[in-house]
Amino acid sequence: MEGRTGDDATLVDRLRRGDPRAFEDLVIAYQHRVFGVALRMLNNRAEAEELAQEVFLRVHRAIGEFRGEAKLSTWLYAIASRLCLNRLTSGERRMTRQGEETLTRLASSEVGPAEEMERSELETALHRAIAELGEERRIVVVLRDLEGLSYEEIAAALEIELGTVRSRLHRARMDLREKLERFLP
Amino acid sequence: MTCHDAREQFSALVDDALATEERAAVDAHLATCADCRRELQRFRDTVALMRAVAPVRAPAGFVDRVLEAARPAPWPRRLLRSLFLPWPVKLPMEAAAIVLVAVGVALVYRGAPEIQHSALVDSSAPAMRQTAEDTAPQAPAPTPSRETDAMRATRDARALGKAKDQAPAFARAQEAKEAPEPQVGAAPAEKMDKNVAAASPPATPQQPEALSRDAEPQPTPEGRGKKDLKDLQVARKLEAPPAVDTREREMTSQYLRSESAPAPGARADAPVAPRAAPSVTGSSLAFVPPDVSGRLTVSDRDAVLRGVAELVARLGAVETRRVDTPEVQILELTVPREAYAEFVRELARLGRWQPSKEPPELPAQVRVVLQIAR
Repeated sequence: MEGRTGDDATLVDRLRRGDPRAFEDLVIAYQHRVFGVALRMLNNRAEAEELAQEVFLRVHRAIGEFRGEAKLSTWLYAIASRLCLNRLTSGERRMTRQGEETLTRLASSEVGPAEEMERSELETALHRAIAELGEERRIVVVLRDLEGLSYEEIAAALEIELGTVRSRLHRARMDLREKLERFLP
Repeated sequence: MTCHDAREQFSALVDDALATEERAAVDAHLATCADCRRELQRFRDTVALMRAVAPVRAPAGFVDRVLEAARPAPWPRRLLRSLFLPWPVKLPMEAAAIVLVAVGVALVYRGAPEIQHSALVDSSAPAMRQTAEDTAPQAPAPTPSRETDAMRATRDARALGKAKDQAPAFARAQEAKEAPEPQVGAAPAEKMDKNVAAASPPATPQQPEALSRDAEPQPTPEGRGKKDLKDLQVARKLEAPPAVDTREREMTSQYLRSESAPAPGARADAPVAPRAAPSVTGSSLAFVPPDVSGRLTVSDRDAVLRGVAELVARLGAVETRRVDTPEVQILELTVPREAYAEFVRELARLGRWQPSKEPPELPAQVRVVLQIAR
């Protein structure tokens, strides 16, 4: 995995020193993870790219405010999660929720038409099941099972209690188990 | 532990996030419950499916686009943006528009004395009444006709005025000689005497302005407009009985100013109001600045007026002008130089004579302005 803690510390130092290459390295290191969170949450590639870009621009502007108490990755996830949840709860976004059913087919937009034909029914079902979760549960399960954050990191990123992380994650997984029943052995 | 309690812990159990006691309790239940063991396995499989989801990759060119967006815009674009952003520009432009309009109005107003004069005439009558009441609440309410007559007298004097170049010099001499007296908040009166004005606290906000303008020998068009206003104020104050001293001085100052003001045709043609309080009589309304001016304080004014009339006749003097108000009479006399000394002696017998101007060198015909008051 890119951007391990030691690398993060070096990267943060370089960013603070104004190293012109540091920001580029940061974007290269975290682009897929930030974009992934945005895409899983928003289910729209264009919107996800716009949001991911906004995450990096905010980091670029506010690197001086990063105190280093949390990991750089946690800080990035925190910004991305907050922006996603804000956008999902905004009135403008709610107006477009009607057609989101089709947007859950995010896999189809990631690959070409030919590959889509070969995509397994399971994978489509997985993406759909994730997309159908409520926003608060979805962000927890995305950060945990897709991005691999610890309970503590999720609590820090979302600024919620550990117990809340645990209960939301449990509810999300229970929902997913129901939806994915027929794919389980 | 029930099955429900055990299953509530499955998520944490899968993540190995249970405390030792919790883990032991769940394990104990699972050891005795086949359904829960099966359910736990399904739960693990679900989580495994989630974790097997292929990671998302950012679109090609994403890094370049982010770097481009993060790069500061070229300075011309930043400059243009700072100049044309909506709200920082809107406010200054509105302010600039207001300033431009204000300056334009001021320039037009300054360049057209007729506008100033007409505005003054239109608003003078009610303003006069109100000010008279303000300054002299005990005074009988002045009638508009008397007020406007004072205005007309002033205008007539101005229209027929002569010897313009002598007036500023006279005014300065008057200022230098006049003894300090209590002022009753009358700008024109204070304008007469710079020393008095400087010694006493300013009674009106206009005072400094009046003083500074007074120092200019040639009145500007704007100055003339202000002089009109002051003339009206003088006429107004003539209607206020309590301020006797001030009003007398104002009358004198009115003479001086009206004499010094040029007489444009437009002003001579200005609308003439009905007759007003101070009646102006005399062989001519033309005004020549007096050589001597002063105040005669008397107890019986009518008797003194008769005495002065006799004196005038006896000494071969001529009364050239008279302004009568209920409170003060102003006589303009021409006295032969050789008779002047006796004239003054006789005045001193008639009342308390306080000359405010009396030059050492007298002309053959001494022009005297006499303010007679109680």
